[in-house]
Amino acid sequence: MKKFSVLFLALVMAGIVTLSAQARRVFTNPRPEPYFKSLFPNAGGFSTFGGTPLHYKVYDVDPKVNPSAPPVGYIFWTTDVMPNDFGYHGPVHFLVGMDTHGIIQGVVMDYNSEPYGYFSVDPPKFVEQFKNKSVRDPFQLGKDIAAVSRASITMNHAARVLRDATRTMAKTFLNPADLK
Amino acid sequence: MQPPDPWGFDDAPVETWASILAPQYLDLAILAAFFILALVSFKRKSVPLKFVTFAAAIGYMGFAKSYLISITNIFSVLDWNWPIFRYNLAWYLFFGFTVVSTILWGRLYCGRICAYGALTQTLDAILPAAWRVNVPRPIEKRASLIKFGVLAGVIAYYLVTHNLLIYQYTEPFWMFGMFGTPIMWTLLAILLTATLFVRNLYCRFLCPVGATLGLISYATVFRIKRWSECNTCRLCEKTCQWGAIEGPKILVTECVRCDDCERLYLDTQKCPHWRIIEYNERKLRILPLQPIR
Repeated sequence: MKKFSVLFLALVMAGIVTLSAQARRVFTNPRPEPYFKSLFPNAGGFSTFGGTPLHYKVYDVDPKVNPSAPPVGYIFWTTDVMPNDFGYHGPVHFLVGMDTHGIIQGVVMDYNSEPYGYFSVDPPKFVEQFKNKSVRDPFQLGKDIAAVSRASITMNHAARVLRDATRTMAKTFLNPADLK
Repeated sequence: MQPPDPWGFDDAPVETWASILAPQYLDLAILAAFFILALVSFKRKSVPLKFVTFAAAIGYMGFAKSYLISITNIFSVLDWNWPIFRYNLAWYLFFGFTVVSTILWGRLYCGRICAYGALTQTLDAILPAAWRVNVPRPIEKRASLIKFGVLAGVIAYYLVTHNLLIYQYTEPFWMFGMFGTPIMWTLLAILLTATLFVRNLYCRFLCPVGATLGLISYATVFRIKRWSECNTCRLCEKTCQWGAIEGPKILVTECVRCDDCERLYLDTQKCPHWRIIEYNERKLRILPLQPIR
């Protein structure tokens, strides 16, 4: 009975710690898996969500078949990597796929509450321009990213989090010699 | 000697205020210049300068930058959700100016800074006076309460749904972005058509931002002074295009500090206050006081 009480208490404590940790995380779409194939169409499998910063690893072959296979890319939310950056009204939730050469394979704009999001970051052409960009690119509005006037706070936030999140992920998981 | 950065990213490894300010200098400078222009035109009670301010408000604040206080900013206050300060200094200058100027002088923002307000006031000055439909005072007084109902309704809707896109149907400020759906453009066309006949229709009766600033205006420090003659004179009340004067009282929720009444106060030919002083002086000249024996 005493062991059961200790176990129960430990579980409650773990639950509180987990919940408080989750409370600090920006809540994002809990089921992003349907997007994965659009980011890495040839992927053989994906890891579970974890690590620091939080991410999914992408594999050529299913990791259950070959557990020692190295990842070929990473999928992550910009809100997990840059949690303190905000647009006009909160963060824009981008799901990013990046390969091990620091090349963005695709970006999904999953959610935003920007008043002018409907003509700035919502149109698919906004995220399309990030496909095949390198983390070494400048990500500057009006230069390599098309600027949308009158939505500059939203656009600056979007370009900034995509640049900083991919660079942070690259510095954490990639080798600088492998970057393209 | 630090080893070379193997990553070779172009951004500065450590952000400095100089690097943060560099892309914002121009915007900050233009915005500051615009505010100075608006304040000079306000303080000098100059009509030509007021219309120069309107032109700058429509062109720069509206079409170039879309700097307009919106109901979405009230939503931001409600859920304390703000843009990053250091990257958006111009926006904070704009927001701060609006709040501070409202506390100091009242709805100065509505009367001089808001691009939509500037547009409708300019339209009003251009369009023939014969087109105007003067709303009877009792109706005008009741209609001015609608904006508070709109404010309460929109806030309630947002608190329940958290859908801030409701702004598209309750304010026309998106028009300066030139991005709208057919429904939005249709509603805007109806509103602007009605505004051709009823001056400042949206600002006076419908604007939830104006309602909010009107409520803040109860805390206004520097209010318009009134002469004792204002108790009986109705000249300013008749002139006020905002329905903001009721007998001797100025309704702070409606007054946008357009200067129309204040210019009348200064007009020695029209304002009874000066006319009475002049009359008394003249009378004294004609009938000089005699010492009492």
